[in-house]
Amino acid sequence: MSEILAQSALRALAAEWLAAGKRVAGPVRVKPDLVLYRPLRSADELLLDGFQRPANSIKEFLFPKAETLYSYRIVGSSIELVESQANLPDQILLAARPCDAAALPILDHVFNWDFLDAFYNRRRAATTVITLACAAHDESCFCTSVGLHPASERGADALLLDLGDGSFEVRCFTDKTRALFNGKTQKSPRSAKASAGPEKRFDPQQMRAFVTAHFEDPFWQEHSLACLGCGSCAFTCPTCHCFDIVDAGPTAGRARVRAWDSCQFPLFTAHASGHNPRPVQPARQRQRILHKFAIYPEKFGEILCTGCGNCARNCPVGLGVLSLLSETPHG
Amino acid sequence: MSESPRPPHASPQPAPSPPPAFEPKILAYVCNWCTYLGADLAGTTRLEYPPNVRIVRLPCTGRIDFNLIVKAFEIGADAVLVSGCHPGDCHYSAGNYHARRRWILFRELLDALGFDLRRIHFTWISAAEARKWQQVVQEITEQTRKLGPYADLYAAANFKPLPAPAGNGQGFKTFAAEGELREHCRKLLAEGAVKVVIGYGAGGPVMVTKPEEADRLVWNNRCYPNLTTYLKRKEVNALGKPAVVVKPCDEKSLVVLENEAQIARQDIHVIGMACEGVGQPKCVHCATRTPRFADVALGQPAGPEPPASPSPNRFAALLAMSPAERMAFWAAEFDRCVKCYACRQVCPLCYCERCIVDRNRPIEIDPAPSVKGNFAWQIARAFHLAGRCIGCGECSRACPAGIDLALLNISLHVAAQKYFGFEAGMDPKAEPVIGSYALQDKEDFIR
Amino acid sequence: MDNVYLPELMEVTAIRQHTPDVKAVSVRFLNADRARGFSFRVGQFGLFSAFGYGESTFNICSSSNWKDHIEFCFRKVGRVTEALWKIEERDVLGFRGPYGNGYPMEAWKGRDLIFLGGGIAMPPIRCAVWYALENRADYGDVHIVYGARTVADLVFADELDEWSRRERVRVIRCVDPGGETPEWKGEIGFVPHVFERAQIKVKDPVVLVIGPPIMIKNTLPILDKMGVKPASVYTSIENRMKCGIGKCGRCNVGPFYVCKEGPVVTMEQLQRLPADY
Repeated sequence: MSEILAQSALRALAAEWLAAGKRVAGPVRVKPDLVLYRPLRSADELLLDGFQRPANSIKEFLFPKAETLYSYRIVGSSIELVESQANLPDQILLAARPCDAAALPILDHVFNWDFLDAFYNRRRAATTVITLACAAHDESCFCTSVGLHPASERGADALLLDLGDGSFEVRCFTDKTRALFNGKTQKSPRSAKASAGPEKRFDPQQMRAFVTAHFEDPFWQEHSLACLGCGSCAFTCPTCHCFDIVDAGPTAGRARVRAWDSCQFPLFTAHASGHNPRPVQPARQRQRILHKFAIYPEKFGEILCTGCGNCARNCPVGLGVLSLLSETPHG
Repeated sequence: MSESPRPPHASPQPAPSPPPAFEPKILAYVCNWCTYLGADLAGTTRLEYPPNVRIVRLPCTGRIDFNLIVKAFEIGADAVLVSGCHPGDCHYSAGNYHARRRWILFRELLDALGFDLRRIHFTWISAAEARKWQQVVQEITEQTRKLGPYADLYAAANFKPLPAPAGNGQGFKTFAAEGELREHCRKLLAEGAVKVVIGYGAGGPVMVTKPEEADRLVWNNRCYPNLTTYLKRKEVNALGKPAVVVKPCDEKSLVVLENEAQIARQDIHVIGMACEGVGQPKCVHCATRTPRFADVALGQPAGPEPPASPSPNRFAALLAMSPAERMAFWAAEFDRCVKCYACRQVCPLCYCERCIVDRNRPIEIDPAPSVKGNFAWQIARAFHLAGRCIGCGECSRACPAGIDLALLNISLHVAAQKYFGFEAGMDPKAEPVIGSYALQDKEDFIR
Repeated sequence: MDNVYLPELMEVTAIRQHTPDVKAVSVRFLNADRARGFSFRVGQFGLFSAFGYGESTFNICSSSNWKDHIEFCFRKVGRVTEALWKIEERDVLGFRGPYGNGYPMEAWKGRDLIFLGGGIAMPPIRCAVWYALENRADYGDVHIVYGARTVADLVFADELDEWSRRERVRVIRCVDPGGETPEWKGEIGFVPHVFERAQIKVKDPVVLVIGPPIMIKNTLPILDKMGVKPASVYTSIENRMKCGIGKCGRCNVGPFYVCKEGPVVTMEQLQRLPADY
């Protein structure tokens, strides 16, 4: 027996959560051909039909694009440090894609590597992730190549599966969601069949072996020439987490802000002396692939990629991890 | 939910009469040689005027970066005054002419963004015109007192969406000249006439260096990018003499690049493709489908495809909104900006070695993707392209957050046409719009 | 909230200018408890803040035996260092650290030590030299070959003199050809050549070599000829850093995070890493 919930009932629930002061975010059609995860202003905004993978990721709700680490006041020659005491409201990420949810346990490693990042951890603790299994995929999706699938449970507190008739099967994995859905669902003998997902496009183990052994290789040059060095891929990627720390605001009273950064920017590794270890785009593209498929696995045992395909979809010139990887010689 | 640092903004209120205690804060950028001395004279001759103006003294109005006007509002000014020597009297000969030219265009951009232009004032006040200084300050103070505090700077409260652009309703279609293009490039590479062809490939732009790979080149209605942007990439330049495939819209970038001495035109082989349109919003308004500046033109121009749905004039729709609605529109748009700089990287004319947003001595533009940082960046980007943008629309297409960047560029394009009869990318010998001036440049907004 | 990014407030106690663009700064903790509880290993680094301008990464160039303050040394090259250049005594800076692995001074006990450095590389060598001299019995002979482009560019030059007066310490100073003054009594030549000419006689030494990549590249064959194994040759890598704690993703050399697994590394380790620095 499974638990099912009508779409209208799910929206009503979302409206209840909003009314109770929780923050609820989910896919919203922002423009005719653009779907983004956004904080919902009303439950009507929530997009539950069709398959259009949001062009951003849910990481911005745990790792915002700009986060004040602390602020300070310069008073004469003394400094006063001011930490934010704001309480974090609970937040529910509703109808996230499984490839977004799976990024969270992957990111947990780096944000807790010896030093515990309380900014990320606090938000993580205050967040409930309810995923919506994918009934379809597009040509940029490749979750199956990195060990995931359209109904993956990784990182999710609950999973919704579309039954195709205006209702969802609801599978709760944690107490958080068992409490949220308690008494709201009905039992049913029907259950949803997950879609098979895209064909596997590459083998990450062979990938890792190749990129590790071919640090110097004309392959990187040939396949990175079209890259323009923007941050589109990194910023829309569920697992990219590189950041900058900048002093922002007027000089006398400033904040130290953590902001997203991308290894594709030329200045990312530039030394003040003028030396740059990665002075050309091929070196920077190589770093991206290495970090995701060799370095992160070596350090934390996980690939830093969930196959969501946002890099390919958002790239202004059609590159993306998949195009680079599928052209990698690897048997 | 994302806790980006943002200034507080007021929730919508009915039209207020300002509380009696409100004292407007007015920031005045004045030139050292005329207005500053005029203000000084007002002081020494005991003319009385309200104390609401804080003066920032600069050598010349020509030194006033447009960003300073925006910064004044960001730090809490309710009105801004910019004042300098009369035309013809500039201490540095032409500084104020350059400034005037800039102000004409910048006002249009600010208007399109929804800034309250009633709070921005320009005057010419000479060193002798103490009384004029007194009058101007009195008037501006009173006007601003009536307007009230500038509480809805970057406020998102009055948001109204714009009509959606015409969609790309066409199915995939290969254009007839694809075969001709491949053959031409095969020959170029085989003869060594060029070392690399920058062209369109199946997945996106390709750099073809071997004649046997010429079949990687495609020509169809998905050939969106403006390939001239690759001429600024040092990795591409290192390959040797390029050929570049351009659509008629893209090739205008080459004119501007040549104008600005960024390319040696004779060192590039330009392959112009007659175009039937690639289904982007710009294609509906396309005036010419034939290449004009190419070394070789391929293909026959077909008539324009009728749009899938009637295309709204979105810029007109933007201007039809009230300033507060416009400001709310942009605040909502820029809220999604993550500072990925895709807009900058795709633009062929954004070729600065080190962009202003990457400079940190001093930091001109807040590097974080905060409300202020995003507005400042978008204003800088648009204004640095004033009179240079050729309307390829790549910035809007590249933006992963779907921000309507092209509308900002359009506002400056329209202004350059209206006030200076200027259109970027038409004449390699034309004087650039910013950086030149005319004695009779429009003055009606300058007191 | 335990905020790992929050700096400690430090008061500037002394500033010394070494060259036209290099200064060394001593700072002490404003918080006495923090001062008491603080310790570090020589070779570790910290992120020092100039409030209003930003943070920058510097080696802690004082000995870990000195309890009342720590020191860092910087060259004026960018936004933060230009701001640091203007500080005065009693100004308040920020400090996050100590980060990184530090020199394995325990493992180096009983060995002869050779320090080779050029220019602004002196500070990370200096802390190790002082530590060794303060624990003199634990270490063998100490040889220091240090050079700069010109006489005016020598950093901690007075301490070099002091060290040369200590027991079983030999100091060789050099400047690049053309960098000497008429009064110069030291060697003339690049550090690797001067080192080779010195024909230092040691058995199984530990070598710490820090300097520009070209200097290190030219030094390695000489060490090889001397029979020094790459596992005994150490250096301190520099890379651009922001967080210092392994999260911002910018300082890695292949899989090696300079801020967490470095900055101190042996040549053997370095040779196994990709050329990503």
